[in-house]
Amino acid sequence: MTSFLEASKVSKTYQDNKNQDIPALLNFTLSVKEQEFITIIGPSGCGKSSFLFLAAGLEPLTGGVLKFNGRSVTGPDPLSAMVFQEYLLFPWKTVQENIEFGPELRHVPKQERRKTAIKFINMVGLGGFEDAFPNELSGGMQQRVSIARALANSPKLILMDEPFGALDALTRETLQIELLKIWQQAKCTVLFVTHSISEAVYLADRVVVVSKRPGTVKEIVPIELARPRDREMFTSPMFIEYERYLKNLILEEI
Amino acid sequence: MDNSAKGFVQSIIPIDKPDLFIYFKPLYLKTKKFLSPVMCLVIWELIVKMGIINPFFCPAPTSIAKELYGLVFTNELWINLYDSLFRAVCGYFLAALFGVGVGLIVVWSKFMEDLIDPLIELVRPVSTFAVIPIFFIWFGIGDVSKVLIIAKACFFPIVLNTIAGIKGVDPKLIQAARSLGAKGFALWTKVLIPSALPMISTGLRVATSMSVTTLVGVEMLSADSGIGFMVIDAQRVFATEKMFAGILVLSALGFSFDRLARLMQNRVLSWHKGI
Repeated sequence: MTSFLEASKVSKTYQDNKNQDIPALLNFTLSVKEQEFITIIGPSGCGKSSFLFLAAGLEPLTGGVLKFNGRSVTGPDPLSAMVFQEYLLFPWKTVQENIEFGPELRHVPKQERRKTAIKFINMVGLGGFEDAFPNELSGGMQQRVSIARALANSPKLILMDEPFGALDALTRETLQIELLKIWQQAKCTVLFVTHSISEAVYLADRVVVVSKRPGTVKEIVPIELARPRDREMFTSPMFIEYERYLKNLILEEI
Repeated sequence: MDNSAKGFVQSIIPIDKPDLFIYFKPLYLKTKKFLSPVMCLVIWELIVKMGIINPFFCPAPTSIAKELYGLVFTNELWINLYDSLFRAVCGYFLAALFGVGVGLIVVWSKFMEDLIDPLIELVRPVSTFAVIPIFFIWFGIGDVSKVLIIAKACFFPIVLNTIAGIKGVDPKLIQAARSLGAKGFALWTKVLIPSALPMISTGLRVATSMSVTTLVGVEMLSADSGIGFMVIDAQRVFATEKMFAGILVLSALGFSFDRLARLMQNRVLSWHKGI
């Protein structure tokens, strides 16, 4: 199988306000297969989020080659969508209008995009909230809208930047389970940045461990837990062993 | 001694005190906002009626009301009001058009910002009244210069709020929109401008009161019509009652402009209330 997202020796350098170079990523090499669920973990400020921004085409790279779907990434691609920790919904739009945003930009006819929106509203479990405004929703519900908004573009690749980082533990667990369901239904590839090791293990096919800045791939750990995954796995010896192993890898970097 | 102590205890624990206030409470809640203005008017009326102040300098509220009531049935008030409204509204909308337009141009490109921003910063602190003579010389003393002076006064709050509004849009919200496929013109019309709308509409609202303030100024300086002219003309012939009545009309004008702007703002930004 050819790789779907191919990063070879990708580098990214930022300039701070004194015009000094801050290297965020250096020789970051990663190959992602289609429909794979990849989680990325690493110490704070290691550049793992930067990699998502590069993959989303939101920022230009400063070195290396980054190919998505066989083409070099030069800007935001309609086949990829990003979900942020801060939800970043449009506060002046209702839930439905937020979700219709992507299709609206692609001039999908009104009837059709309404149908798409309702499909995804139901998929993320927000039936009945179509006409609510974001500020009327809880954090967990807002993140569901944000996920539905990304899905409405029928992306092949979803980039998630610590999407559950701001949520309480219970909401977080619920959304993890639902994300896995959605991922299996939507048949897309997911790149998921997180700070939580157990979240990384629970969701992933492979966990990418990033070194401290400038970030590079330190190790890729395939997770061989059976799918569909359930909450019982959190206490299984294998799960705990993965957690311990990954934790040691990250601690070496701090 | 014993009695006074008892009275003290009773006053802080008003258990068996019949609470008469409770009967007046609904009435009080409805009228509390009018209480202090009405009291002031009554005191004013009494002072004048008792002859403490010469009514020539400060007529009683009732005689001002009578004068205003008389004016309502004359053409004078309505023609002047029409002229005033025409100037204020024209100046305001001119400013709204150019204020939002120039604001958007400034934030559109860094080059335009470098070009226009210093001009805005230089002209803004200049008092509107200081440039009135220039406008009179350039555009005559007719309505054109009056409208332009009002527009000058309203322009700055609008342009500055537009610039600040667009610049203040969360960069991550822009990235979220871009990742969903928004770019170029659509990014502006569907994300940047709607995000900045609360700020822009605040600028538009501040400008409404500027328009009335400036209107009064220019009409008092040079005009042969308008409510501002009516007031200054009444002062010149010592018709103090009419002068006060005119001032009342101007206050009402300013008040209703602000209310109207607030109404529009709430209508446009109904989504924004909870934030």
